[in-house]
Amino acid sequence: MKKYLEIAKAYMKAQLIWRSDTFVDVILAVSKILFAWILWSILFEGKKQIAGLGFQTMISYYIISSYLFQLEKSAEISQQMTGMLRNGTFSKYMVIPVQTQGYFVAMEAGKIAFSAGIGFLATFLWFYLFRIPFVHTANIKILLCGIIMVVLGLLFMALLNYFLGILTLKFEEINIFLMIKDNLSAFVTGAVIPLALLPEWMIAGMRFLPFYYVTYLPSMLFIGKCEEEAITGLIVLSVWCIAFLVLNLVTYEHDRIKYDGAGI
Amino acid sequence: MKIIETENLTKKYKRYKKQEGLAGSIKGLFHREYEEKIAVDDFDIHVNEGEFVGLIGPNGAGKTTLVKMLTGIIAPTSGKIQVMGFYPNKLEKAFKQQYAVVMGQKSQLFFELTTEDTLRLFKEIYCIPEDEYKRNKNFFVDLFQVQELMNVQVRTLSLGERMKMELIAALLHNPKILFLDEPTIGLDAVASKQIRTFLKDVNESRGTTILLTSHYMEDIKVLCKRSVVVNYGRKIYDGDTDMLFENYQKSKKMTIYFEHSVESDVPEYCRVLEKTDDKLVLEIPKQNAEKVLESYIGHYPIRDIGIEEEEIGSVVERIYKGV
Repeated sequence: MKKYLEIAKAYMKAQLIWRSDTFVDVILAVSKILFAWILWSILFEGKKQIAGLGFQTMISYYIISSYLFQLEKSAEISQQMTGMLRNGTFSKYMVIPVQTQGYFVAMEAGKIAFSAGIGFLATFLWFYLFRIPFVHTANIKILLCGIIMVVLGLLFMALLNYFLGILTLKFEEINIFLMIKDNLSAFVTGAVIPLALLPEWMIAGMRFLPFYYVTYLPSMLFIGKCEEEAITGLIVLSVWCIAFLVLNLVTYEHDRIKYDGAGI
Repeated sequence: MKIIETENLTKKYKRYKKQEGLAGSIKGLFHREYEEKIAVDDFDIHVNEGEFVGLIGPNGAGKTTLVKMLTGIIAPTSGKIQVMGFYPNKLEKAFKQQYAVVMGQKSQLFFELTTEDTLRLFKEIYCIPEDEYKRNKNFFVDLFQVQELMNVQVRTLSLGERMKMELIAALLHNPKILFLDEPTIGLDAVASKQIRTFLKDVNESRGTTILLTSHYMEDIKVLCKRSVVVNYGRKIYDGDTDMLFENYQKSKKMTIYFEHSVESDVPEYCRVLEKTDDKLVLEIPKQNAEKVLESYIGHYPIRDIGIEEEEIGSVVERIYKGV
């Protein structure tokens, strides 16, 4: 376990090298809150509620969800893996005594930890300095569920992207799989068609897919909504994480033996 | 004690044979023809613990494929293979813990971080105890005299400096076997010499078995007592390096730079490879090299002279043809 922590630490340190990137991260985190404030102030003019949420709740939801959305950068795992497998540099992970799955998850965790820390600090300072009322749940259990769900959600996305990355061992070209993943994720989270327009049975079915629980549900839980779905969400995400942990191990072991182009 | 053993080791690749042009590309969507390439063919090799073996051969000879199989990166098609008692392609943790690979053109270091940071990471990855880590790090850092570079970002190091750091990172966990692929590629003469001295020291003082792949005859000649020559996937020579050069290296390349334009005589047994007003490049039979050198030094105003070993391709060709 210590080796994976050290891998995460190394990638976190690597992020901190670039001072201008760090500075831009802080600026982006702050300007996002400012933008949300202006946008929702205009939209809420003359209205008390939109989609059942008040102004402060909406601001809080927007900031939390965009913060979580910003943390989810795992697509780079699959892109990095496919690039390295094709140009023959992936072998450097095969010859060291670590599990490649663990390595890439730890790498992602290190990168996320950096963004999470910077984003959280900037957001907290902004809320505090400008006395913006932050609407959040007072239920500690729900808060805890939300935090665990965020961790599981990010883990799931990292595992999913690792899986798509190792498909390069078999298919070489994985862009089609990445496209399917992106579209499915966008569809389930309501980014393509508002979920309210879909039949009830379809929405119920989507609850068994993990994407709903990656950013949307934790954001709702943090502002005190959808609390009854918390446990279901944790169970669904845990099952998906375990399934992908096993699937990745089996797929990697099976496909790497047949793959000849791992380079040196 | 044998540390590497292979018997009838064979690796065949299947590759897509695309027909020419756009029509060929479209046809390839529906029907593909594959051809089989034998990269390593019935290869037997036995390496004893502590040996320094040179693996030489022209491009495409099968050296890299052999090393890939020995390190477990790819699986053989057939034959027996055993490295330190392990079947490499299983990639067991205990196996990976005991060897290291250094590739001249690829890096294990974190370019954004310092070497110190990367070594710290390797300490955890290889579960090296703190005292052993410090002892090994200090030993190698002293050997290379790179103390002042340890806290410099890797991307700012020169190629030679980076290669030294790669070697330190690779040897930190005291591997039993070190696989080296072109460690002096692109390096200047000083850096190459430092790397060679370092490797010789590691092999002698630590007993590390080293398998060196290189195109530079100088690397092989200086470092490896034993050489294995590979061509078309087959072993065509396995034995003493001095004997190899004695028997199959027939000529040397001499480059002479004159102080000013001169009309020089060229002995009839030499072949002129290049001739300008102030530069002469000759291919000289090995046994006459000294004589030619003396004749030029005494009679012409010379600015510089360089003597190079015959390139590996010619030597391999000669072994292959048995001449």
